[in-house]
Amino acid sequence: MSWFSRSRKDTGPIAQLEPEPEVHRSLGLAALLEGMRRRGAGLQILDLGPAVGTNVEFLSQLGCKLHIGDLYTSRVSAGEGDEIGQDQYEQLFPADARLDVVLAWDLVNYLSRAELTRLGTLLRRHCRPGALVFALVSNQKQIPAQPHRFRILGDDQLAYERRSSLERPGPRYAPYDLASALKGFHVDRSFLLRHGIQEYLFVREDEAEETRAL
Amino acid sequence: MAWKREDPPTSNPEPAAIPPRPAVPSPLAPASPEPRRSGERATIGASIIIKGDLSGDEDLIIEGRVEGKVDLKQHNVTVGRSGRVKADIVGKVVTIEGEVDGNVFALEQAILRQSGAIRGNITAPRVILEDGSRFKGSIDMESSRESRPSESPARPQSNEAGKQAGELAGRAAQGG
Repeated sequence: MSWFSRSRKDTGPIAQLEPEPEVHRSLGLAALLEGMRRRGAGLQILDLGPAVGTNVEFLSQLGCKLHIGDLYTSRVSAGEGDEIGQDQYEQLFPADARLDVVLAWDLVNYLSRAELTRLGTLLRRHCRPGALVFALVSNQKQIPAQPHRFRILGDDQLAYERRSSLERPGPRYAPYDLASALKGFHVDRSFLLRHGIQEYLFVREDEAEETRAL
Repeated sequence: MAWKREDPPTSNPEPAAIPPRPAVPSPLAPASPEPRRSGERATIGASIIIKGDLSGDEDLIIEGRVEGKVDLKQHNVTVGRSGRVKADIVGKVVTIEGEVDGNVFALEQAILRQSGAIRGNITAPRVILEDGSRFKGSIDMESSRESRPSESPARPQSNEAGKQAGELAGRAAQGG
């Protein structure tokens, strides 16, 4: 059971720092939840973050199937500057599911361009047309050394749990970078928040739209 | 000693009228035909390793290692802090404090405690993941919404519990 022992060791130092989480209003989350409710029950959701009890409880109200990919732990385990292998990316995705929603949180800020493109390719393969991808992209020069852990507190309230006091340069991905990595998706809604985070809600295009875009 | 019985405390120090009976069949302690007493639970000790399927008619605490399906649909299953299960678990309320590499089917509730880790899928009307727990897999909560249309966000209505239990048991029997 190597996953158990590896995970226990690797998450140790991260868990040491648990300052009071910042709570921010999230218009992107509100738009996402509105879209999810419109789609109805039975949604297939992939959470690329770690398993968070309150999020599971919140999302359970929507009667969904939640897949925990936990790119967060893979990213933290790999260390800054190290890329995550293709096989690990593929393991994030449930083999037999067509996804309706992907919660990417702020993980985009911790991926290289090559990794972002790799993720985009897999998202395109696993998401059904109309699927929503929620991402928080920082436009700050410096970002925390580790991704946040996010906790849904309400329809438009997100708690940011910072897991490291250290900082690192942020990639400051522009809309063009995201669009070229996430081919087959377009920005449905975008909100620039006061704390320097741009929330994006991407929508998976259907094949006809994709063909037109090409 | 393979099995450690944990009966509810009693004021009578005399031995029980019915001899103790292990909860699940095992080569270490064969099952006896005596009727089940309410409130019984069995413990698989930390030094015990079982390779094979487990089933029975009382609650079970696993502190040892089990490699084989644990099937106690009508009873509670707890994988203790030192417990390790490498197989599917079916129970009424399934509580994980140790490590599980397999799928968990709970007819009422699945609880992953802070010390617990699951690599596999959870199917239950209600799922509780405590902070610090580790989970990688899928959580199927589709049935939970059908049973609580309005206010109570996470607790299934009791009058639906039987229906859900039947559905989940069916899914568990099909292996997913």
